[in-house]
Amino acid sequence: MIRFILADLRRLWAGAVVVVLLVTLATALGVTVTLQERALRLGSARAADKFDLVIGAAGSETQLVLSSIFLQPAPLPLMSGEVLARLSKDPRVTWVAPVGFGDSFAGYPLVGTTRALIGSTVSGFAQGRMFEKEGEAVVGAAVKLPLGAEIKPMHGTAQTGGETHAGVVYHVTGKLPPTGTPWDRAILVPIQAVWHVHGLGRDHGHEEEEHHEGEAHVTQAAAATDEHGHTPLEAMRERAEDHQHEGEAAAAAGHDEHGDEDHDHHGAIDADAPIDESFAADAPGLPAVLVKPKTIADAYKLRQEYRNGNTLAVFPGEVLTSLYATLGDARMVLSAVAAGSQGLVAAALVLVTVTHIGQRRRQIGALRAFGAPRLSVFAIVWLELFLLVAAGIGLGFLAGLAAARLIADAFTARSGIILPVGFTGEDWRMALILLGAAAVLSAVPAILAYRQSPAAALRA
Amino acid sequence: MLSLRIDTLAKFFPGLDNPVLLVDFLTIAAGERVAVTGGSGSGKSTFINIITGLERPTSGNVVWRGEDISRFSETARDRWRAEHVGLVMQDFHLFPGLSAVENVLLPARLARVADAALTARAHDLLKGVGLSRPDQKIETMSRGEMQRVAIARAVLRKPGVIVADEPTASLDVEAGEAVGRLLLDMAAEAKSMLIVVSHDQRLIDRLDRRITLSAGRIVADNLREEVAA
Repeated sequence: MIRFILADLRRLWAGAVVVVLLVTLATALGVTVTLQERALRLGSARAADKFDLVIGAAGSETQLVLSSIFLQPAPLPLMSGEVLARLSKDPRVTWVAPVGFGDSFAGYPLVGTTRALIGSTVSGFAQGRMFEKEGEAVVGAAVKLPLGAEIKPMHGTAQTGGETHAGVVYHVTGKLPPTGTPWDRAILVPIQAVWHVHGLGRDHGHEEEEHHEGEAHVTQAAAATDEHGHTPLEAMRERAEDHQHEGEAAAAAGHDEHGDEDHDHHGAIDADAPIDESFAADAPGLPAVLVKPKTIADAYKLRQEYRNGNTLAVFPGEVLTSLYATLGDARMVLSAVAAGSQGLVAAALVLVTVTHIGQRRRQIGALRAFGAPRLSVFAIVWLELFLLVAAGIGLGFLAGLAAARLIADAFTARSGIILPVGFTGEDWRMALILLGAAAVLSAVPAILAYRQSPAAALRA
Repeated sequence: MLSLRIDTLAKFFPGLDNPVLLVDFLTIAAGERVAVTGGSGSGKSTFINIITGLERPTSGNVVWRGEDISRFSETARDRWRAEHVGLVMQDFHLFPGLSAVENVLLPARLARVADAALTARAHDLLKGVGLSRPDQKIETMSRGEMQRVAIARAVLRKPGVIVADEPTASLDVEAGEAVGRLLLDMAAEAKSMLIVVSHDQRLIDRLDRRITLSAGRIVADNLREEVAA
């Protein structure tokens, strides 16, 4: 029987190929949507895994998580540096690290942070060592820069028309192992350097008064950012400008060349300066700090405590959950589209095969006349179509997997987030359901063939 | 050995007032060789379909060696036909894509009765009908060769009756001659009854008995001696 079916399929190979192709495409569409959505969920959850609690200035929770964990350049208000100082001394906190963004180099975001964060989130170095001085940088696994490379940071990104900071150069001292998160694409520099590049936090401890004054502006700047939707960098800059215009004393103490040009207020870094990571209450404003609480109970307490008027504390997980709800809705729509296309293909297949059975009436009649049992005839017609559709479903799953992998790879290259694309039990269940539907679908022409009177078929 | 008895058989088609076939009584002995003739629309095809169980009569009995196949279910008639009837048709109904021997074995395989002995017999039969390449694809054969494959297929399971519907009509004289001879030889070898519907006078002349149909009724039923006389 199998040989008969194969001979038949060989004879009708063009039609068979079209049927398989149609089913493959329809299946692949649905599979890709499912796999991609799941991978996006898993990948983003894993990327957020290392960060228990994110605290930033009051604003959008989603934006805070997207900017601090997924390093998406976006407007983020600044909060007072005092929060960082307070958290550093909090006994419920294992480590706390500020993150400062806004600059980039060769398309990679520059993130100002601390050795504590790097040391606690990745194990060891792939190459080189940690930054020890203000002019040193550590790069993520996906950053294509060798040890010792020079980094000249740029305001914002090249696409947004950024300008290179004059006279600021970092040297790469270490490369981190891959983490599968957006941080793989980041260049990590001491937060102190970021502050200094932008003319902040210089000489703290000496000019306390000015800094207090500066802090007042932090809040102002934060409010302004909220209204105007500036990037954190612009907010910093604005704050610095305010600082300059209103605090002449601070300018006199910290900056030598000010007032000439718009960008002149940007300071330079002292590449050989040691890194000071003990943050006092007068530390400059920050877009976000990442906090590792000691226990889950501490995490909830801290989250509660820092959800007041000025600051916002979130578990990345909870924000992602609400994002997933949106993602799920999008998937619903796409899945409906995919299901619709599958339905159309199924309907087209029934039409084609019913017509085809009509054309094959004589052949089927002859099989019966020569003594093939009705069940054999049913089985032949059923198996022939089922094999084609099953092959299409199988290929569709493979094609869907391949497509999802391609999309995931492209996504990883752009964002650094590794998307784990793979099948789960749910997919196998879906495959079984599709195969079941194929079995039922194939039965339609098979029943027609089964019910055909051989004598009538031969007369036709 | 299979013999046939038909009693008060009538076949009506829906929408037609007159029966397409009406046979009060007919017997054909086992091993007999019968020609069925008549113009088109005389009921020859219906006669063939009913005695092979492809169609059920509206009324009456079709009794093969004590078994009334008109009372069988469709499935039972299929099984009975597979076992007892060898069919040869005007346009062969061979299946392209399969080789000669695969075509010979196909019905037996579909009925799950093809064993090593039957496979060996299929090869022998092909040799017997003068085909030396059992693995030749059917679509590459001449029409005469195709009909010989069809005959080998018909006699594979040593059926009690071989029914041939215009077996030579689509062949040239020479091939028709050969096919007619083969049919007779094969029927003799398997000791089968042979019923041939034909217009081919030379083939008809070789058979023992000739039944003539007209408008669904038997109008003549002669033995060859009588025809000759």
